Amino acid sequence: MKTRALAAGLWGLLAIILLSACGAPAETGEGVSDDSLITVGFSQVGAESDWRTSCTNSVMEAFSEENGFNLIFSDAQQKQENQIKAVRDFISQDVDYIIIDPITESGWDQSLKEASDAGIPVILVDRAVDADESLYTAAIGSDFELEGKKACAYLKAYLDKMSYKGEVNIVDIQGTIGASATIGRSKAFDDAAKKYGWNVLAQETGEFTQAKGQEVMESILKRHDNVNVVYCENDNEAFGVRDAIESAGKKVGNNIEKGEIILLSFDTTRAGLTETLNGTILVNTECNPLYGERLASMVKTLEEGGTLEKHTYIDEDQYSANELVKSVTVDGKTYPVTILTQEILDERPY
Amino acid sequence: MKKLSFSLSLNRELILPVFCLLTVLLINLVKTPDFFDISLTNGAYYGFIIDIINRGSELAIISVGMTLAVSVSGGVDISVGAVAALSAAVITNILSGGEAAVNELHAPILLAIGAGLFSALLCGIWNGFLVARLKIQPMVATLILYTAGRGIAQLICGGQITYVRVNAYRILGTNFGNNPLPTPIYISIAVMIITGLFLKFTSFGLYAKTVGINSEAAKLAGLNPGTIKFIAYIVCAMLAGLAGAIYSSRIYSCDANNIGLNVEVDAILAVILGGNQLSGGKFSIAGSVIGAYTIQALTTSLYAFGMPSAHMPVCKALVIAASISLQSPVVKRLLNKHGKKYFKTVFKTVFKEAAGV
Amino acid sequence: MSFKELKTFDINKSLISITILLFFIMYGAGMLIFGRQGFAKPQVFLNLFINNAGLIVISASMTMVMIIGGIDISVGALVAMDCMILGDLMMNRGWSAWSSMLAVVILGIIYGLTQGFMIAYLKIQPFAVTLAGMFFCRGMAAVISSEVISITNESFVNISQLRISLPLLGTLNKHGKMIYPFIYPSVIVAFAVVVLMFLMLRYTKFGRAVYAIGGNENAAMFMGLNVRRIKLLTYTLDGFLVSVGGILFCMNTMSCFSDQAKGLEMDAIAGTVIGGTLLSGGVGNVFGSLLGCMIRGTAESFISFNGSLSSWWVKITTAVLLSFFIIIQSCMLIFNNRKISC
Repeated sequence: MKTRALAAGLWGLLAIILLSACGAPAETGEGVSDDSLITVGFSQVGAESDWRTSCTNSVMEAFSEENGFNLIFSDAQQKQENQIKAVRDFISQDVDYIIIDPITESGWDQSLKEASDAGIPVILVDRAVDADESLYTAAIGSDFELEGKKACAYLKAYLDKMSYKGEVNIVDIQGTIGASATIGRSKAFDDAAKKYGWNVLAQETGEFTQAKGQEVMESILKRHDNVNVVYCENDNEAFGVRDAIESAGKKVGNNIEKGEIILLSFDTTRAGLTETLNGTILVNTECNPLYGERLASMVKTLEEGGTLEKHTYIDEDQYSANELVKSVTVDGKTYPVTILTQEILDERPY
Repeated sequence: MKKLSFSLSLNRELILPVFCLLTVLLINLVKTPDFFDISLTNGAYYGFIIDIINRGSELAIISVGMTLAVSVSGGVDISVGAVAALSAAVITNILSGGEAAVNELHAPILLAIGAGLFSALLCGIWNGFLVARLKIQPMVATLILYTAGRGIAQLICGGQITYVRVNAYRILGTNFGNNPLPTPIYISIAVMIITGLFLKFTSFGLYAKTVGINSEAAKLAGLNPGTIKFIAYIVCAMLAGLAGAIYSSRIYSCDANNIGLNVEVDAILAVILGGNQLSGGKFSIAGSVIGAYTIQALTTSLYAFGMPSAHMPVCKALVIAASISLQSPVVKRLLNKHGKKYFKTVFKTVFKEAAGV
Repeated sequence: MSFKELKTFDINKSLISITILLFFIMYGAGMLIFGRQGFAKPQVFLNLFINNAGLIVISASMTMVMIIGGIDISVGALVAMDCMILGDLMMNRGWSAWSSMLAVVILGIIYGLTQGFMIAYLKIQPFAVTLAGMFFCRGMAAVISSEVISITNESFVNISQLRISLPLLGTLNKHGKMIYPFIYPSVIVAFAVVVLMFLMLRYTKFGRAVYAIGGNENAAMFMGLNVRRIKLLTYTLDGFLVSVGGILFCMNTMSCFSDQAKGLEMDAIAGTVIGGTLLSGGVGNVFGSLLGCMIRGTAESFISFNGSLSSWWVKITTAVLLSFFIIIQSCMLIFNNRKISC
């Protein structure tokens, strides 16, 4: 009898939860379903890093109701199949635009085709996909290979300025295998190492995390005694690498002649730039997560009947606290290096 | 090595787990000659062996709890990784006062760790309630926190990584004072000793076995299976919480997405490698701990070989397959029948060689 | 024995009725709450099948394994390896679509046979064997290729994207396009597997033996069943079905990388358990698992239609919905047991 009462109670609770969890947002949903708002479906990868969270927040801010948007946000929990599901749900919900931050570059033909059959324009963020170009309207993203090239060019320029003639024994702590950031940055690294004759001691994945970065670096340091440059493919890895180097009784710093180990890093998160400012990381190459404003303006352009360039890259900077190198040249183009100060760090939104 | 030989003479059941661990270590001796070198760097011991014992601490701690949960309920607790992340999130956010990065403490460390363990306790109570009171199958019951735990941890951290850049907080994960051995080693030894004493001097171990073998019979014998299960799940969650504190102290931050990721699989594996049955009943904590260090030894060795971490699971799988096959009742019977003598001599020579090194 | 049978039968029936009821209540609630956003469209219902075709097949297989008292936690990794082999054979080695699919299915059978041998003949616990299998497959997927393979094989694409439309119930959307409800061939395959599995478990000698072994292995042995052989067959069939599921999964995602289908085993176990199968064996129904997958899919659609939940709230909401099903079920089960013993 008691169990029956308990079961009945749970049924009631289920009903209440369902109504309250879904009912409350649904009311606002009814409020905004007037035609003045542009409905945009945004499928995000997940929240696997603070870089990603910054990206999500930027998009959420830009597509607010005050700006004339009704954003339907869908989080894929790092699973590609969830993103495909999300696109189908957007189509059923009859949104005006779909924005996708794809987890992988491949496998998009089917769902993009469904979207284009429903006449919904699709914008891709962060990385391009290898689907047919006619299936999406525009793609905006980071050029990961350029980021890698810039970092390598900086290292080359720095060593030249230092007039360092010794051997460059370099280690590449890669990101998650298969991620496009890893592919781009590793490719740039491989090319540069070949071009400049750097001696690559090891190339292993730190899976973009501090703990793994530390574990991998500890192992590398025990095998190779002569590491003097570490190329970390994101900030979190750089922190782990720093700790590993220090516990091995070596020093991290900019002075390679004195046996200090140089760190290069990417992403320019606030934590990463703090380490750049105090000289732990020599150069930190930006990977900009603030897509919100750009996307909002792109959608507005489409809404006004304009056209967009198919592929655009977002502008990305490079930061160092060291004043030796002022600019780097990649493929004939010169990019300035920002000398990092506390003021710049304080002004940055992420 | 002393500890291992001690447990060897103590318990025949442990021969196989120890054998596996030694085999893994021996392979290293051939492949990486300086594997067993230990040097003193900056006043701290430094070497692959130290790495294994140090980095295996969290897994060893969690597998102690997992062994109890498995033995009592005949099912696994898959929420331990998420509970570790949750506890880490609570600790770092109390220390940082809710900010994303701080350089000074906003609360006493002990208070924060207490709160972290308390949150783990709550998780344990929830799991225990589902398993013991509502009689839900453990794997399914803990699936709830497996899904939600990391979500709550992220909610607490606001999706950011919370940094506590204070040296006092790093003690748990690194060395304290001028002590040459990393703190996690002491913590894991303390956990093992306390659990060992608890099982030796109370009748909990016996009760746990009884409930695990036959819950109904235990009830008829006057035990309360519910309470025993409840306690086991609470202990399991608390130990996961403690491991979470060490994880987070190592990186002086809380990365809710990655702390304790997939550790539940490794902990279950440690229990299996320790010669325990997942169907519950008789159990050996020492076996699980040896299993945990075997897994860490394997990981560290594969790193030392320079194997890409994505390929590691294949080697892991082969080692597991070999070891569980050796422990299979059918193979054991065959060995007992035909190869007992042969096996013994092989084992003895191998062990002597290892001891000689 | 007859008492036990009666009990099992009763539990079986009541669990499936709970599942059916919950699904309808849930879907009805969705139509009420999100009706204006298009939840009532037939396509939303069909999408449940399109998105979950692979998972449905894998859950059906998981149901069978659980009925016999085992578990297979290697399914997610096996799907990743299947996708990888499929992609590698078609894209890097130039095999045709059909021969690659055949190869994957054959490999699945061999894989299932190996697991089955270790479980049935070496008497190792299923969890341990499939755990080793999980590591093996995930690692092998990475060994085959550390890069992402995109499947562009023409005949494979054509099969997977063949749209089977209903000529009625179409809706006109904002962009002026008329959309008729459609499904892909994968849905038909998934349905066929579920129906065949149901018939096999219920009406063949093998199926009844599976239930008997799950209910009480010793009793089944005394009844004269060849327990070891039936277990071996079960796990072999499991390997086959998971590979079929893997191909369907691949048809939906069209890309292969070593982290593909991570956590799929948990989705399959959750779907199966919601559908009323007990991990302890002897009780279960393939249609229940189908409904279990549908319920999970509907819960995901709720979250997606809501459109304001952040990553962590998605996790927490999923867990809350999951816990309600599990708790309600367990209460009904306790209640049922009491009624019988009274």
